[in-house]
Order: sequence, then C-alpha cells, then structure tokens
Amino acid sequence: MNENAKTPAASQDDLFRFIDRDAIMSEKITAPRYSYWKSVFRVFFRKKTNIFMLAVLAFIFIAAFVLPSFWKYEPFENVTKASTFNLSPAKAVAKFGASPKWWLGTGSVGNSIMYGILAGAKTSLLLAIICAAINMTIGILLGAVWGYSKKFDSVMLVIYNIVANVPYILLIAVLVYIIGSGFWPFVFALTVTGWLPIAYFIRTQVMVIRDREYSLASRCLGTPVRRVVIKNILPFLTSVIVTVLAQELPSYIGAEVFLSFIGIGLSASVPSLGRMIQQAQSAFMTFPWAFWPPVAVASIITIVLYLMGQNLADASDPRTHM
Amino acid sequence: MLKRILFSVFSLLVVIMIVMLLVYTAINRNVIFQTDDTWNKKSNNDRAIYEFNQYRKYGYLTFVDYTNFLQKKYKPIYGEEYSSSKEFIDDKKAISEAKDYDELIANGNASVQEFIKQYKDKGYEIKFYPKIAFKTGKLKPGGTAYLLAIEEKSVFLRLWDYIKGFFTVETTSMVKDPELKASDRGLKLEKDPYSGLFAITGSGTQHKYLLYFENRFPFIRQNFIHINLGTSYTTYRGQEITTVINTPTGLPVKSKQQYPLAIQNNTGEYVNTAIDFHSLTYNSAVVSDIEKTQYPDKYTVYSFKRSGLSMMENSFVIGIIATILAYLIGLPLGILNARHKDKLTDKMGNAYIIFIMAVPSLAYIFLFAAIGTRVFGLPYKFATAKKPILGYILPIISLSLPSIGSLMKWMRRYMIDQMNSDYVKFARAEGMSEKEIYRIHISRNAMIYLVHGIPASILGCFVGAIITERVYSVPGVGNLLTVAINTHDNGIIVAVAAFYTLLSIVSIILGDLLLARYDPRISLNSDKGGGR
Repeated sequence: MNENAKTPAASQDDLFRFIDRDAIMSEKITAPRYSYWKSVFRVFFRKKTNIFMLAVLAFIFIAAFVLPSFWKYEPFENVTKASTFNLSPAKAVAKFGASPKWWLGTGSVGNSIMYGILAGAKTSLLLAIICAAINMTIGILLGAVWGYSKKFDSVMLVIYNIVANVPYILLIAVLVYIIGSGFWPFVFALTVTGWLPIAYFIRTQVMVIRDREYSLASRCLGTPVRRVVIKNILPFLTSVIVTVLAQELPSYIGAEVFLSFIGIGLSASVPSLGRMIQQAQSAFMTFPWAFWPPVAVASIITIVLYLMGQNLADASDPRTHM
Repeated sequence: MLKRILFSVFSLLVVIMIVMLLVYTAINRNVIFQTDDTWNKKSNNDRAIYEFNQYRKYGYLTFVDYTNFLQKKYKPIYGEEYSSSKEFIDDKKAISEAKDYDELIANGNASVQEFIKQYKDKGYEIKFYPKIAFKTGKLKPGGTAYLLAIEEKSVFLRLWDYIKGFFTVETTSMVKDPELKASDRGLKLEKDPYSGLFAITGSGTQHKYLLYFENRFPFIRQNFIHINLGTSYTTYRGQEITTVINTPTGLPVKSKQQYPLAIQNNTGEYVNTAIDFHSLTYNSAVVSDIEKTQYPDKYTVYSFKRSGLSMMENSFVIGIIATILAYLIGLPLGILNARHKDKLTDKMGNAYIIFIMAVPSLAYIFLFAAIGTRVFGLPYKFATAKKPILGYILPIISLSLPSIGSLMKWMRRYMIDQMNSDYVKFARAEGMSEKEIYRIHISRNAMIYLVHGIPASILGCFVGAIITERVYSVPGVGNLLTVAINTHDNGIIVAVAAFYTLLSIVSIILGDLLLARYDPRISLNSDKGGGR
C-alpha cells in the first residue's frame, strides 16, 4: 500500500497541514476530461493511412475546384481540326507543346483530357456534396420525427413501401427523361426520393433508442421531447449518421457515372466524368488514354471518400475512444 | 398474408399510375414520330389524321371522324352503296367547301351541326382541318378536309385500360367471325404432327395451339393465358413487349416441314420453310387463294422459327449462372474469412470488398473486360464470339464478381456477429469441435439473414443487367429500359416499370415465405406475436 510506504516522512508534522472538507466540491464527481469531437479526431488521426487519404482528398479538392478557374475547359476548341482528334499523350505533347493541358492526350473532338477530368471531377464532387447535404438533412430530420411519432409512422410506412418497390434506376431515369438533364434537374432527380431510405434507416435507429431504458427514465422524469431528442438520441446517432454519409457521398459519384453511361445522365453542356467515360467507352481498346484516366479519377475519389468515411465512422463510435 | 398480397397489388397499381402520370402527361407526345417513316411520307391534313390515329392506338385519346359519323348515319338507310347517295355526298362536300371553322358553322349544314352538337355535349373537342389546295383549285397531297371530335383519355381511364388488357384468357368465343359456327368451336386434345407428341388445340380461340411441346427450352408452352405488359411505340413499332422479349433474337431457321393441309390429306409434300406452325393464329381478314391450298382452316397467321435465345433467355442464362457462382464462391469465402478473422485471407477479402463497394461498377466491369480480352483472348462483343458459348463467359464473370463481394461481406459480418453469442460458447463448452460449431451452428444462423435475398437475386435475373449487357452488347432485357428512354418509347417504359415492380414485389413476398420456412421461429402472422 502506498500510504504505508510514506509513513516515515509523515512523522514530520510541519510538512502537513489540515484542509477543510469542501462540502460543495465533494458533491462533484471527478472524471477525466472528455471531449467527444477531440477524441474522435484523436482516434481518426492515430491511423497514418487516414492522414495520407486526407492529403489525397485535399489535393483532389484543390485540383478540382481551383485549377478549372485558371484552366478553362473548352471541349470544342479543336473541333474543326481533325488532326487533333484522339491523340495519345506523347503525340499531343509533340503537337501542342509540353503544357499540362496535353499531358493526358486528346479526346474524340480534340478536347483536352486533362482539363476535362478536372472540370468533370468538380461537377462530380459538387453533385455528391449537394445531393448528400440535401438527402441527409431531409432524411435525418424526417427520420427522427418518423421514428418518434407513431401517427406519422403509419402514414410514412405506406409511402415507403410503395416507393421502395419502384426500382431506383427507373425512377431517376424517368425523372431525368421528363425534367431534362442539366445539373440542377439531375440534383432534383437524385434527391426527390433519395432521402427516403436514409429516413427509413434513421427511423429504425431512433425507434431502438427511443425505447431504451435511459430514454424512458428521462421521459418519466419529465424531460421535454426536444431535450430527449437532442441530448439522448442525437449523440447516439452521430456515428450512425457518419456511416450513412460514408456510403452516400461516393454513391452519387457512382450514380452519375452510371447514368451518364447509359445515356440518361447530365447533358452535354455540363462537363462530367460519366460523360467522358461514356464518350470514350466505344473505343476504349484503341484510345485507352481517353477512357482510363476519368475512370481512375472517379474510382480514386470514391475509394478515398468511402474509406475515410468508414474510418471516421469508426472513430465517431465512442466505444473506440478508450 | 392476404393483407400483404392485397397491399402489394395496390402498390403495384400506384407505381404504374405514377409512372403513367409522369410519362404520359409530362413528355411531349409527338416525339414518337421522330423516327416514323410513315409519318414522314404523309403531309398536310393526312399527317394530322395519322398522328391522331397513332395517338388513339397508343391510348392517348379517342376520336371520331366526321366521315365515320356519316357512314354510320347513312349505312342503315342506303346499305353498302351509301357512299353514292346524294345526302352523303352533299354532307361530305359541306366540310370541304368551308375555309375555316367559323364559316363551317355559319354555313350550317344539318349533318355538320348535328355532329358538332352531339360530340360537344359529350365533352369532345371539335377540330376542323379545312382543305389545302393549290391556286388552281387542285388539292395538295394529303389536303383533304377533315372534321374530328377528340376526347383526351384521363390517366385513370388509361390505367383501367392497361389493367384490363393485362391478362387475356383464351376462350372459344374469342374469334368474332360469323362464318365460324358454334358447333365448330371447342378445345381438342389431339396428336401434334409438329412435335410428335400431344397438344391441346382450339377452334374459335385466337391461337390454334393452346398447349404444346417444343424441342427447345422450356419444352412445353401454352397460349391459354396471355400477359400483355404494353405495346412498344417506337423501338419495336407496335409489338407487344412480352412478344419482343420472348422471341429469339437470331435469324429465321428453315427446315423441312409440311403445311397443315398436306398433313391432313397425307400428300407427303414437304417444303423448306421457317414458319413456326405452333404460332398459328386466326385470320379474321380474307384468306388468300394460296393459303387455301395450305391450310384447312382460317388459322393462317404465323411467325417464324428463329435461332438463338430470346432477350429474356439471354439475360436469364447469364444472370442465373452468375448468381449460382456468386453463392457457391461468396458464401464459403465469407465463412473462411470469418473463421480466420484478421489473417491474410481476411485482409485480402476485405480489400476486395472495399474495391467492389467503393469503385463505380462501370469501372470494374470495363477492367474485367480489358483483362478478359487482352490476357485471356475472350471475345469482347457478344455477337462476335466464334463459338456462341464464349460470348457468355465475360458477362457472367462481370456479373458474378460484384455479387461475390457483397455476399462475402454480409456472410462474414453475420458470422462474426454470431461467433460471440451464448449458444456458441455453450457448444464449445459441450466439447464440439470448431469445425462442427461453424458448420452446424454459426453458418446456419448467419444464413438466416441471407435467405431473404435469394428469391430477389433469382427473379432479378429476369430483369437483366444494364451495364454488363451494354458493355458486351448482349441482346438482353437489361437494355430495354435505357433504349426506351432514349427513343421516347412510353409503352416500353410503363411495361418495364410494371415488370420490375411486379418482380420486386413477388421476390419480397417469396423471401418472407422462404425465411419463415428456413427459420421456424419467424412467423409471418403478426397477430401470433412471432414477428420480431
């Protein structure tokens, strides 16, 4: 025992003084300081791969959002010069000079693949962020109400069961077909029912926590509903929400690529990765430089977003903070 | 259960209605003429009439032509020669003389007034196309005057028509031909000269052969119940979708066959023809003299025997093999990875799962295509395969690899969830070997979660795979929707929507039944209190 080891020194009285017992302080429970978000980031940055991926993501963001404003993508600048069509990187550099614009060769109308990818990546990222923001906001808010109110639940379940039967692709395809294929109509098509699965998922989670003992106890003690939702339920949902976000963000990029590929995606006036892939796919064996770079960029963005999201979701689960 | 089925039918109807509402009201309807040659050849008023005829055919509207109205009016009075009667000619002239609608009303021919009043009261819209003529007075091509009464069809009426036409059951009173006497109508079980076996044939029914055997899959075919999902407008002009997806896509195949009359009279006369005599349907028009020497009855309308598989069969063959492969490979791999958690195989499996989950499907399908063609020398396009069977390999691989990934992921996840449960610890305490625990306890319990998806993955094969079929140019069902959307083929869009929805509803119900069968603890009856 530690006290016993110190006894020889304790004989010297003047080293000690009496302290009054503080009645108020003794009521407080001392616990190590714990900040949720600090712990989340501590766990997140413990993994070296996360720092690397964050760097890759930062690089992609800067490249996609800053560079296109200096390097304007003009797909039809060489449309009249047939000699510039489908040039391999080496030939394009030989023809135009060593500007980064031509490092990846030219496409089927003499367009710069490099600039096209940067502009397309910007569209893809913007689309993913906007759609995720809209769907997540509506999904979480409605899902929370849906899970909490039993009346709302019975109505929403009928709607959900009907809409869930419509194949997602069909719905988007029909909507894009009807309202056109610009950037904003496309966002609308992806969000008009996109929030429903998220809301349904959140509803189930809310229902589970709503009936947990601690929530019931708070309610018995007369805590108002708003406080129960904010203090009891929402913190529990944080890691669930991050997990959903990790799956949602890359899925919109994939959806854009897929829909553009089957010919119902964004219109020709909006530069996008999906469209570049679709245009290059028929000759992907003969002109691989026009096909693989946009595929690779789309894949890298989705992989990095997915992995980082997964790791952030792991880190936001309080059980990993020990 | 009955409640479930009723709700499913209800939601199917709602889905069809939503799609119809979207497709028919929000899209400019004249896009169906963009690729129509007949429309291009017609001009002036004839073109307008052709458009209305097509709209009527595709269920947009109903309309009555003034000439038809006159025909109905005078036929009972003058018989077949009504068109040379004075009243008829005068009444017809009334519309060709008027320059516009106001003049037509002002001139006040009695029949015109009657027509307009009768249909205006019914809520029809009256449209007048005055004659278009050269300065010399000669009519321009297609310049005849027309007077029409048009009624737009509401969505509900269109939905009702669609549902009414969904199932057709063949009856012996289907053919409305007075030449066919009631005593001749009926069903017969007789020897089928074309298959060598027996067949049920009908007289008075639309099809001659109602149940027959064939030498190709599924060997037995029926024409009793006919499902009509809708009619194509543009891509397969005027054909029914069910016919389109069930007809083999190859070229007609000729073989030595006998005409029905030759068989009946036992002439022994063979012809080299591709006619599929099992497909004979009733000819309600006039039977030609040649046909009279070939057929004993009026069942003379046929289709050809074609080689290859139908669109549906192509999709299904690829899909079902890929699904079976995915279950055979994915489940054991998932079990293996769960057993050796955090070992090398598990890490490799996880990397694969992340690759499949995160990378857009398009990217890895093309990657497989490139590897398959470059490294293994497999054919890239389905049709260019030297041996037809080689063309199936890459699509099957492309389709099965992602499902392997997802099955592996879920199997591993559920296995790990089960590994810490009490019954596993108990089994271990009982002294069961690890192998037995995994085989008997854990994998069976983990399978519970996966059983529900089996019907969906099997029925999903009928829908086809959009990207895979497009990349390898497989003639399958998967492309139907995208082609329909790009060609504005509303009929196919509604039909495919109905088909997809029907399959997804059926597969969810089948999944529930299978689940209840696999795990006796689960009860589908909510009032029994078994539902967890």
